[in-house]
Amino acid sequence: MIASNETFVIAAYALTWLVLLGYVWRLVSKDGRARGDYARVSGRGEDLR
Amino acid sequence: MPTNDRSLDSSLPRRTGIWLAFACFAVLGAAQAYSISNSPAEGDMGHLQKIMYVHVPAAWMTFLAFFVVLVFSVLYLWRRREAYDLIAASAAEVGAVFNGLTLALGMIWGRPTWGVWWTWDARLTSTLVLFLIFIGYLALRGFVDDPGQRARWSAAVGIIGAINVPIVYMSVMWWRTLHQQPSSPSTLDPAYTLGLRLNAIALLLVMIYFIRRRYEIARLERAAEQAAQMAAMGGR
Amino acid sequence: MAWRDDWRRVRAIARKDVTTELRAKAGFNSVASLGVTILILLGLALGPDAQALRDAAVGAVWLALLFSGVLAFNRSFQVELESGALEPLLQYPGPRWTIFAGKLLGNLIFLTLMVTIVVAVGVVLFSVRIPSRWPTLLGVLALGVVGLVVLGTFYASMASRSRAREVLLPLLLFPMLVPVLVAATTASKALLGADLMHDADAWIRLLAAYDVIFLIATFLAFEHVIEA
Repeated sequence: MIASNETFVIAAYALTWLVLLGYVWRLVSKDGRARGDYARVSGRGEDLR
Repeated sequence: MPTNDRSLDSSLPRRTGIWLAFACFAVLGAAQAYSISNSPAEGDMGHLQKIMYVHVPAAWMTFLAFFVVLVFSVLYLWRRREAYDLIAASAAEVGAVFNGLTLALGMIWGRPTWGVWWTWDARLTSTLVLFLIFIGYLALRGFVDDPGQRARWSAAVGIIGAINVPIVYMSVMWWRTLHQQPSSPSTLDPAYTLGLRLNAIALLLVMIYFIRRRYEIARLERAAEQAAQMAAMGGR
Repeated sequence: MAWRDDWRRVRAIARKDVTTELRAKAGFNSVASLGVTILILLGLALGPDAQALRDAAVGAVWLALLFSGVLAFNRSFQVELESGALEPLLQYPGPRWTIFAGKLLGNLIFLTLMVTIVVAVGVVLFSVRIPSRWPTLLGVLALGVVGLVVLGTFYASMASRSRAREVLLPLLLFPMLVPVLVAATTASKALLGADLMHDADAWIRLLAAYDVIFLIATFLAFEHVIEA
């Protein structure tokens, strides 16, 4: 009983860190894409002028 | 045109330092380490009680995030400042993440405690409905292209959704009490409250970091959208 | 009197919508048929035991109403958009909320007709025994339908103008209708049984409060939603 309970506790903490770090990963990649888009779009704007 | 471009450049948000993220997660790790090592196995639940340190703060953060969505939605409709809309949207996304985490952790706790992954308890059900409202809010934002419409509509959905949350809670509570007693978690031992508070503060820091970071990205995306519009208007 | 003009506007919009539907008929017929079809499918999925069907009757009828109602709400704005009539409608003088009230009234009439058919079929298919307190039961149904129509019309005014109206409307609407579904089904079940505890009264109060709260909230919010 105790052993299986510990599995659940470990699963809970592992999931928490997985989700939080996963979201950090998503933020970082989204940030990269947004910066890339901005640079490309504003750069093209200057070319056209 | 060039002045416009420059003003956009200067208003571009700077990347919030990676060190802030490290600091937030270090605090969270420390709070978890402290509370785990300082809480003896609880009588009924054994070590399962330790799940509470992540589950309960995550639930608090979910509701706090939704409160932020409500406040900034009202502010947006009142003042019509784009920043308020973007903050509400960022809080909604972060809130949805914490909401999903809360539900999953609740299931992990419920399986060994109650013997089932899910039960139609008032808190569980209203948290689930809140999750669905978050999903609807984010879906709406994804499917509307005009920034003004997107902002006004999602603010309306955020406010109406927030009004609904207490009504859902009440109705499910009544619904349950007609069938069987609502499942109440065991009352909290004062020995555990310090650990709970520490974890809540740590998770609050993480959430603030997330919302801030998401808001910066949202501003970047808007800047890119505006630059694209300007390029299209100036170029063709 | 200003409110008289407003009321005339509301009626004009509602009459226009109802007339359009009556002339076309195809819209109403298909939505009502879908409601009946859902009932039949639920009967096949839950039957054929008569008692099991009787127990599930209320839930089945409400699910059929929700799923067919969603289509009706989207239609009411879709028809305007396809003929490009929403923009001129917004140009008309007078307060904007009259547009919402008119749409609401039109949808309410449309839904009332549909509910009558679906409930009648449900009573027959699920062999429901009509209880002595059937007027109260009708009251529960009416309050529930008002809640459904208020939020359905409100969300349809946004969802129908988005890129994914078919998915977006139920996604936004159904979580909001959880209290209506819970209250209406529980109260109806109590009324169909003995209701010794008089549970139904509390649920009726909850439904009435829900309707009033969201009627006010959606009227206030609609001004912001309809802006071009």
